[in-house]
Amino acid sequence: MMIMNIELRKRIVELITNAGAGHIPSAFSIIDILAYLYEHVLKFDPKNPHWADRDYFILSKGHGCAALYVILKKYGFISQTDLDEESREQAMLGGHPDSTKVPGAEASTGSLGHGIGTAIGVALGLKIRQQKNKVIVLIGDGESNEGTVWECALVGANLNLGNLCCIIDHNGSSAQIMKIEPLKEKWEAFGWEIYTIDGHNEKEIAEVFKKIKFDYTAKPKVIIANTVKGKGVSFMEVHGPWHYRAPKAEELELIYKELDSHQV
Amino acid sequence: MASLRDSFAEVLHRVGKEDPNLVVLVGDISHFRLQSFAKACPGRYYNVGICEPTIVNMAAGLSKVGFHPVVHTISPFIIDRSFEQLKLDFCYQKLGGNIVTVGSAFDYANLGCTHHCYGDFAMMKTLPGTQLFYPATEVEFETLFRQVFNQGTLNYFRIPTYGHTHEFKSQQIRCGKAIRIQEGKDLTLIAVGSQLRTALEAMEPLSQWGVTVDLIYIHTVEPFDAALVNESLFKTRKCLVIEEHSVFGGIFDDVLRASHALENVRYASIAIPNNFIREYGTYQQHCQRLGFSVEGILKKVKDELLNYSEVLNNRLSP
Repeated sequence: MMIMNIELRKRIVELITNAGAGHIPSAFSIIDILAYLYEHVLKFDPKNPHWADRDYFILSKGHGCAALYVILKKYGFISQTDLDEESREQAMLGGHPDSTKVPGAEASTGSLGHGIGTAIGVALGLKIRQQKNKVIVLIGDGESNEGTVWECALVGANLNLGNLCCIIDHNGSSAQIMKIEPLKEKWEAFGWEIYTIDGHNEKEIAEVFKKIKFDYTAKPKVIIANTVKGKGVSFMEVHGPWHYRAPKAEELELIYKELDSHQV
Repeated sequence: MASLRDSFAEVLHRVGKEDPNLVVLVGDISHFRLQSFAKACPGRYYNVGICEPTIVNMAAGLSKVGFHPVVHTISPFIIDRSFEQLKLDFCYQKLGGNIVTVGSAFDYANLGCTHHCYGDFAMMKTLPGTQLFYPATEVEFETLFRQVFNQGTLNYFRIPTYGHTHEFKSQQIRCGKAIRIQEGKDLTLIAVGSQLRTALEAMEPLSQWGVTVDLIYIHTVEPFDAALVNESLFKTRKCLVIEEHSVFGGIFDDVLRASHALENVRYASIAIPNNFIREYGTYQQHCQRLGFSVEGILKKVKDELLNYSEVLNNRLSP
């Protein structure tokens, strides 16, 4: 089995182990998408996080923030010390991203169903000014239980926000609670341009971003990324016990061992 | 006479022509009134839909990219329904914006509980840095709006259907500053927003009772002008607040908090009791029943503020 971004996954585990708690599986399900976005899709300047010409990435499922943090560290927005201090009293980083503290975190999220509304507003603002920045928001399939997600689905299509792309981390969380299928047909019916990919397959992620044209006169896009919660560590690839916790020392060893076993 | 809602639309039209960053989002309310703005400011007016939390949320997104959004619809649908969006998307993230509502308190008298909103100031006061206004004439709205709409704060304007007719000059209106309408030494009467109307009507009968009134008008609920209130209470030691708000969390609470160190002050309040308004009827009927009337003011003054000896001394003839 091909597992990408093993080092980033290890950094996520380290971060959450140091912090004492966190959402490892939720971060593992999105890390491959984030790694691709920051390496190949998004324009940004870590020295000037508010650069007017940057692209906007908004992590609406804020509990997956460990993935965002290790990416922000990789590209120089934040430091290793920032990661090491996560969740300490005076730390920059906490268990959900905070736009008032974290350079590169575009929105304070955590309460689900908010980041997508912020993204709609950002995309509308850029469209009013006819700026070419891309807006990408990542939501969870569990988050898609929130009514505001569907309000945004209506509004995004009605305003033709073709500069906006919503990625759905379709890791099966909602299926544990409420049936949301058929997701593709739902978004299609709301008037969005739909793409479906394997969110852990770099080739498919790359191909979809070659196809998508960010153009504020077109339809908004949605990418349904089929993912696995906890992807890369077999005993974490489940819903429930690992959702919010830090590994014990002996579990840590098993996690690293399994991640190393994927190294080619 | 033009309604305050018409005035609001005209003010947005004027300010929108001057500032290209003013964007208006409505939830299918005042749509026709705002067409002059929409025509004058193309691409900056959106009748988004019946989805208030999303309207507030996307307004925060607009603010993030440098616009000064105005969100407009009926009070409960923003304050009650979209409170988390106000709290997290605007306030916590220190994004500026403007919420302008109609239908606060019981303005939509006969439409029932779904269209009433009288805990709005109490709720909004829990959001740090938010500025709260209750302008009850056009000059108040325009002056206050111009002072704050682009200053990076979250500003809530509650526009009443029934204002007052006292004429202010724009130079008198300053964000966060109460206005002394009349000087007196026996009683501080604090009128908030539209209830200045009733307070002014009560001046003559109070005068006939021999009571001179220090009449303080409040258009800015937050920041609260504690200085002027304390100055007045230091002199009169008697205070009546009249406000179309829940008895919890309105201006009366601010007055108590600001003046608790003053000794020997008597307080009374005319506000909306902690109970749902289940009656229908008109705004005027609600006012009459709840004590927002000259009779209501006189009764409060007589029963709760004046000394018993003063009553015995026949200063009063209620």
